[in-house]
This record gives sequence, structure tokens and C-alpha cells, in this order.
Amino acid sequence: MSGLFEVPWSDYRPDLIDALGRTVSYTVVSFAGAVLLGLAVALLRLSRAWPARALAAVYTEVFKNVPLLAIIFLTYFGLASAGIRLDVFTAGCLSLVVFYAAYLSEIFRSAISGVHAGQTEAGEALGIGRAGIFGHVVLPQALRLALPGTNTMLVDLLKSTSLLVTVSAAELMSEGRLITSATFRALEVYLVIAAIYFALCYPLSQLLLLLERKVRSGVPLSPRRRRRLRAARALLAAEPAARVPAKEASA
Amino acid sequence: MTESVAATPPAAPASREAVVRIEGLCKSFDGRLVLDRVNLEVPRGSIVSVIGQSGGGKTTLMRCVNLLERPDRGTVEVAGEVVHQGGRTVCRDLPRLRRTVGMVFQRFHLFPHLTAVENVVLAQRKAGVPEERALERAVALLRRVGVAHRALAQPEQLSGGEQQRVAIARALALTPEVLLFDEPTSSLDPEATREVLSVMRELAADGMTMLLVTHELPFAREVSDHVVFVDGGRIVEEGRPTDVLDTPAEARTREFLASYGTAS
Repeated sequence: MSGLFEVPWSDYRPDLIDALGRTVSYTVVSFAGAVLLGLAVALLRLSRAWPARALAAVYTEVFKNVPLLAIIFLTYFGLASAGIRLDVFTAGCLSLVVFYAAYLSEIFRSAISGVHAGQTEAGEALGIGRAGIFGHVVLPQALRLALPGTNTMLVDLLKSTSLLVTVSAAELMSEGRLITSATFRALEVYLVIAAIYFALCYPLSQLLLLLERKVRSGVPLSPRRRRRLRAARALLAAEPAARVPAKEASA
Repeated sequence: MTESVAATPPAAPASREAVVRIEGLCKSFDGRLVLDRVNLEVPRGSIVSVIGQSGGGKTTLMRCVNLLERPDRGTVEVAGEVVHQGGRTVCRDLPRLRRTVGMVFQRFHLFPHLTAVENVVLAQRKAGVPEERALERAVALLRRVGVAHRALAQPEQLSGGEQQRVAIARALALTPEVLLFDEPTSSLDPEATREVLSVMRELAADGMTMLLVTHELPFAREVSDHVVFVDGGRIVEEGRPTDVLDTPAEARTREFLASYGTAS
């Protein structure tokens, strides 16, 4: 039987590890960029100034309705023919950023407007400034609402890095193509590549689900919150101290 | 059961200047007049209750005090400072104004992503109170309103009465000069209503200045120094609670009280 596994994989291991690292780099850099740009676009769409809203709406609609592959070709080949020569990593990340920012902006926008208006009012009534209300009241709640959709997008982005094979981005899929052209064993090679993608994506999505559950149940994730709650627990365990008047003698 | 009730004596009659003074207040929404030349005064250490039908402008009137609603005309004065006049906000520092005015909402509006104690800490930290002091005060206030045992719970794990008591602790955290209550028991069951009213009764006994929009007429009669009946955006009748609630002079007031079955 000509075995299923005849490719000398140990020879390719260093190259595959390189490629894996590159796939992860594309994912991390592009996702960070897409989150930032997506948040900016979402805020523009919620702006009171109509030109800002219009600009953001046009952006979102354009990039939601153009295939990612077309965007990759435009940034890598298209811009190059216009004299703007981007290296493949920059072009690849840029494509993923502008494409996923469009989807993320929709997720963020609905999450931010999904936070009850009473929350902002409660913050105002407590004399918290605009930035404080956004940072401490609206954003943390919006984050909880946006988490499931955002997590889906992260895994989707990771898988979409494979489209960068078309510009030879030296990530996993490109490496698979190289090995195939050297060994002519397409089935074996692409099965292994697919398995590697699965081994990346499945644990990642499970981890993100776990994170969602933790955030939803109110588990403090930041060290500052953990410290604060520990201190509160200590105070609560102690005997009640002096009585608190509703009104302290004003200085 | 509530522990440790503060023993701040009621303000002496001599210092009865108005903490809130509203004059000639007008407000309309989309061309519909909601408040029409309303005057209102809340003297320090007193409790003023605003009663009336839903949609009569009571809540809007209250929201004009901390400028969650901006009046179209008239003057709003808080703690001796004119904050809004002639349709313009004169107060340059809204957060500072709002820290002198505590507010309790009908639907609590606790921050659902934070525990009860963090709800009471947040505004203090934003106002520059050091972490340790803010926490101490938060825990003490939660003890005072009787929910310290739930301090580390998320709002969604609390009963309605507990949530509203946490909201009262939160409103007290910045030592406001006056507390606004916007129908604080309207979304509560009778048991929770009793819990919240008992906390408010203690605040009243401590001499807290309060402006209260309520449908709890017996409670208004019991704690208020002054009752204002608002209807159709105007003050129809006001005076001592026994006068307004037991022997109303105006036909409209009698009609309203009769609909509540409390007119005697």
C-alpha cells in the first residue's frame, strides 16, 4: 500500500513552524488593528454629526460588500501598480484590517447602543464625566454584549489568513502549497494543513467561550478589580466601624 | 433589618435656606408643554413630595433639578448657586452640580457589570476619593441600608428591594446636599416597598433633604413637610401634607385623591 503519509514531514518541520508563526502574527496584528478601526468606525456611526455618520456608513457598506480576496488583490497588486508598493505582510494585514473592521464596527455599534440609556443617565446623575461614563459604564457593558460576535470574527479572521496564499504570504497555506509542489501529494499535505488550522481554531474558540462565560458571570478579570473586591471582603468581615451620616459635615 | 442608623440631628430651623429653588420653570417636548411656570422650593432638612398622575410632569420637574432635562425657561438654583437660567445652563461644572444632588431612579439603574459595593465605589473614585476611603464608605453605606451581606453580589442576583437600597447607598456615596427620589417604589412588590420606605424613613429622621416623586400617598403624608400636587404641568395645590391630602381645596386634587381611594 502506498501509505497515506509519505511526505518527509520532519524535513519540513522548521518551515511549518515558521509558517505557523506567520499565520499567528497575521491574525494577532490584523485583529488588533481591526478592533481599533472597528471601534473608531462604530463611534463615528454613533456620532451626532451626520457627515461622520455618513462616512462611517459608506465605509462599512463598501467593505462588507466586497470579497476579501478582491481587497487583498487591490492592496497588494492594485496599489503596487499605482506606485504604492507595500510588502506582503503590510498588504496582508491591511486587507484583513479594513475588511474585518467593517464587520466589527457593526457588532460594536449594536453593542454600544444596546446598553440601556438609563445607564448613561445614572452615570450623569452621579456626576461622572463623559469619558468616565463611556470608559467605566458603557464600554464594559458593550464589551459583554459584543464578546460573542467579536470572538466569532477572531476565529473567522484566523481562517481567512489562508486566502493570503494568493499573494504568497509564507503563512501556513502558502507553505502547504510549497510542500505540495515539491512532493505532489496534495491530499496528504492539505489534510495536514487543515488539521493544523483545526488545532489552532478549535481550542481558541473554546477558550473564548470560557472567557465569555466568565465575563458574563461577573468574574473579575483585571488585577485592580480583584484587589478592590479582596479589600471589600476584608472590610465586610470586620466589625462595623463608626456610623456613617448621610451628610458629612461639609468642610 | 437595617443596622447603624446615623444620628445627624435635623437641621436647625434657623438654617432653613432652600437647597433647591425653582422659579417660573417651563419645559416642552416636541411643542407639547409639560411644565408651565412651576415654582418649587426645597428648604434644607425638609422633605417635599410631588404627587400627581403619570404624565403630569412630576418626573420632568425632578429631572430639571440636576439638569438631566434642560428647562426652556425659568431658573434652577441648587445649594445657593444658579445653575440654569433663561434656557441656558449657567453651571460650568455639571459633574460638580450633580455630585451635590443624589438621584434614585424608579428602575434602579444599577451598573449590572459591577458588584453592589463597586456600584457605590465608582462615582467616589471618579470624584477623586482615595480607593481605601471610597471602599470604607461604600461598605458602611451598604450596612446602613441593610444590604452589606449582598455587597459582593451582581445586581441581577439581588431582589428589587435590595437593588433599590444599593441604589440609595450609591446616591448617598458623594454626600449630596439633597436626594431626589423618582418613584422609588413603583417597580417594587409590597415587601420590597416596605424595605425601601423604611430606609427612606431613616434618612428623613436623619434630616436628609429630599425631593420625592411618589404614588405612595400614605408615606408622603407621613414623612413630608410639604406636598405639591402637579397636574397638566402646573402646580394645582400645595401645602402641609394634612391640608393637601386630607382637606384639599381644589376640585382637581379631590378628584385625583378619590381615584386613589385615599381622600377622606
